Amino acid sequence: MTAVVLVMLLTLATTHVAVADEPRTELETAPARRTREQKLRRIMRGPFQSSRLYTMPAADTVGPYILSISGDGSLLQQPGILTSAGVIAIGFGDIAQLEYRHTSAISITGLNAPVPTVGVQLKIPIPEYPNVPAFGIAFRLGVPRLEEFDGVGVDETVNDLFLVGRLRFEFARWLTLHGGVRVSSAKIEITNDTVADVRKAGCELATATAALACSRTLWLPTGAFELQMTKQSKIVGELAVAPRFRYQPGMAADPEIGYGLLGRFGMRWNLLPSVIIDGSIGYQIDVATTAPDEGPGAIVTWDIRLGAEVFVPWGALACRAVGAFCE
Amino acid sequence: MKRVIIILAAVTVTAAIARAQAIPDVPIPPDVPDAGSGEPKPDPVPPLTPRNTEVPTTPSDPYPSPPAPKPKQKRVSTSAYCQWEARGTECMPEVLTTPTGWLLPGAMLYSRTGLDTGGGVSSDSRVGLGDVAEFGVATTDSVRARDSSADLRATRIQPYVTASFRLGIDEGRLFDAQPGMTLGFRKSFERNHDNFKTKVAELTLVASKHFGKNVAIHIGGAFWDASLEGDFLDDDVEGRSEVTLHGFNDTKKQVRPFGGIELRPLPSSQILVDLGWAPEFCYQCSNFGDQANGAKFGATKIRLRPILSWGVRTQLAKWMRVEAGVRVPDIGEANLLDAQIFGQVSFTSGALRTAVESLQ
Repeated sequence: MTAVVLVMLLTLATTHVAVADEPRTELETAPARRTREQKLRRIMRGPFQSSRLYTMPAADTVGPYILSISGDGSLLQQPGILTSAGVIAIGFGDIAQLEYRHTSAISITGLNAPVPTVGVQLKIPIPEYPNVPAFGIAFRLGVPRLEEFDGVGVDETVNDLFLVGRLRFEFARWLTLHGGVRVSSAKIEITNDTVADVRKAGCELATATAALACSRTLWLPTGAFELQMTKQSKIVGELAVAPRFRYQPGMAADPEIGYGLLGRFGMRWNLLPSVIIDGSIGYQIDVATTAPDEGPGAIVTWDIRLGAEVFVPWGALACRAVGAFCE
Repeated sequence: MKRVIIILAAVTVTAAIARAQAIPDVPIPPDVPDAGSGEPKPDPVPPLTPRNTEVPTTPSDPYPSPPAPKPKQKRVSTSAYCQWEARGTECMPEVLTTPTGWLLPGAMLYSRTGLDTGGGVSSDSRVGLGDVAEFGVATTDSVRARDSSADLRATRIQPYVTASFRLGIDEGRLFDAQPGMTLGFRKSFERNHDNFKTKVAELTLVASKHFGKNVAIHIGGAFWDASLEGDFLDDDVEGRSEVTLHGFNDTKKQVRPFGGIELRPLPSSQILVDLGWAPEFCYQCSNFGDQANGAKFGATKIRLRPILSWGVRTQLAKWMRVEAGVRVPDIGEANLLDAQIFGQVSFTSGALRTAVESLQ
C-alpha cells in the first residue's frame, strides 16, 4: 500500500506542467489598488495568497487588508459525527496575520465544540530570490479537550510553535517544497482515577486535588510539497509527526505522550480567484480516544475531507464602498 | 388622408436618415471619358475630404467591419480520446462496476442510477475538481452478508453509502503513450445490519489506456479493508468485539487486481467487460478448528468476492447514456444462479463547468 502511494507520488513529481511555466501577467501578480474607482471585478480577481496547506502553516501570510475564511469537514473520521474545523485569518501588513481557530464535532447526541483559540503567524521579512527559501513562524494556542471515561476526566492540551520554510525553484516553477519543525508543548491531566505509586518522567501528582498531570515538549518534523498541475489546481501532500496521548483509565499507569503520524494527500483548486476548494484523503491519529493506534495500513480508519477557503479583500471593498482604507 | 400623411412622414424620415449619413471618406473616381472622343482631359478632381483633417495616404474603409467574434475557446485535453467536446469522446470514471484511470473534467457533474433483477438499487453522484480530482457520494448494493456458513446465499446490505475521492493525471500528459492514472479512495459510512456494524474501505490505483479510438483497457490494483463489529458466538469476549481485514496481518487478503475492457463497435455504443471485488461478511462463521494451525480469529468472517460484469453502453445524447448487462456477484464459485441483469442510466452535465469558466 505504501509502495502504491510512493509510485503515485513519483509519477506526479515527474509531471512537467507547461502551463505552470507560463510567465504571469501583472494582473496575476499585483493586487488591486485600493481606490474608489477600482472595479469590483478587478478587486475580486486578487491575486490572493493562502497562508496554509492542510494543517501546516506556510511561510506566507494572507496579506494586508485581506480576510481569509476557511473551513473543512469530514463525515468519515468518526462514525455518525461531522468533524469540522474553521479558521479566520486577517492580515496585518505584509508580514503578519492573526488567526481565530474553531473546531467542533456534531453528532445526533449533541454538539462538542471545544473552546476556540487564537494564533499568530509571521513571515520573516527578507527579500525573495529564486531558489532561496522563505521562512515563517506560527504560534497556535491549543484547543483544550476534556473528555470523561466512566467518571475519569481526561484533559488534553497542545500548544504549538511552527518554524517553517518554503522553497520554490527557478528551473521547476511547478514545484514548491515546504518543511519545518513543530515545537509542541503537550499536557494531559487525569482526575478521579487510581494512580500508580511511581511517577514517570514529566508527571506530577497534585496532592491537594489528586490530579495527575503529565507534560512533555516535543520537536516534530513536518513537510509538504505542492505540484502545480494546471493554472487553477495543484496537488498537495503533507506529512507530519504529531503528539499522541496514550492512557488507559483504571490501569493505574501514568499516561504517555508520544509520537504519531499524520498525513494528507489531495488537491487545492482555485474555483475562482477568491475561492479555493480543498479535497484530500488522509490518515490521522485521533488524540481524543484511547483506542490503540492501528497504523496507516488500516485504511478503514482513513477519512476524506472537503473544505474551502474564501478571501475577502475588505480593504479594497471598504475603499470602494465608503472611501475608507484607501491608498 | 391618413395614408398620405403616413407616406409623407415615411419619405421625410427616410430622407433625413439619408442626409444624416456622412459622406464617404473615399476618393471619388473622376468621370473617365471615352477613349476615342479626342477631348482634352480635365484636371483630376481631388477627393473629398473633411475639413481640418490630414489627407490619408492610403484610402481606408469608412465602414470597417466589426472585429470578428473570438472563437469559443476549446477546452484543451491532453488525450486525443478524452475531449468531452464531441459525442463519443467522453472518458467515463467507471467501466461498469470498477473505476477507470480517467477523471471527470473540473466542475463536470456526473450521476448514475441502476437497478437489477435481484432488487438491487445503486446510485453514484460525482463532481470533477480542477481537472485533477473528483469527489463522489454513492450507494452500492455490492456488499453482502451471511449469518453463518450454513447460509448458502448471501443477502445484500443496501443501501450502503460510500464517499469517494480520486486524484490523478490525464492520459497522455507526460508523454503520448502514457495511460491515464488515478489514485482513488472509497470509504463507507458505518452500516448497522442485523445488529452488526460494518465498514469497508478501498484504496485503488488504476491505469487506463486507449488503443485506437475504439479500444481501451483498464488495469488496476485495490487495497481493501473492512471491519465487522458485533456479538460473536465463537469468541471469548462478553458482548461486542471487532474483527478487521487489516487485523489478520495478511496483505494477500487485502490486495486484489481488477480491470476492464471497453470496445466501441459503433460510434454511440460500447461493449464493456470488467472484473471487480466486493466484501462479504459472515457474522457467525467460525474458523475455530483452523486457529490451531495459525489462522487468526475471524478470518472467515470477512472475505473478498470477485464480481464479473459485462454489458453495453449506448449514448442517447451527449449528456445521457444507458447501460445494460449481466453481473455475477460471485464468479469465484461460478454461481450463475445469483447472476443479475441490470440496467442503469447515467447523466453528465457541463453547465457548472461553463458557469465557473465564465466567472474565472
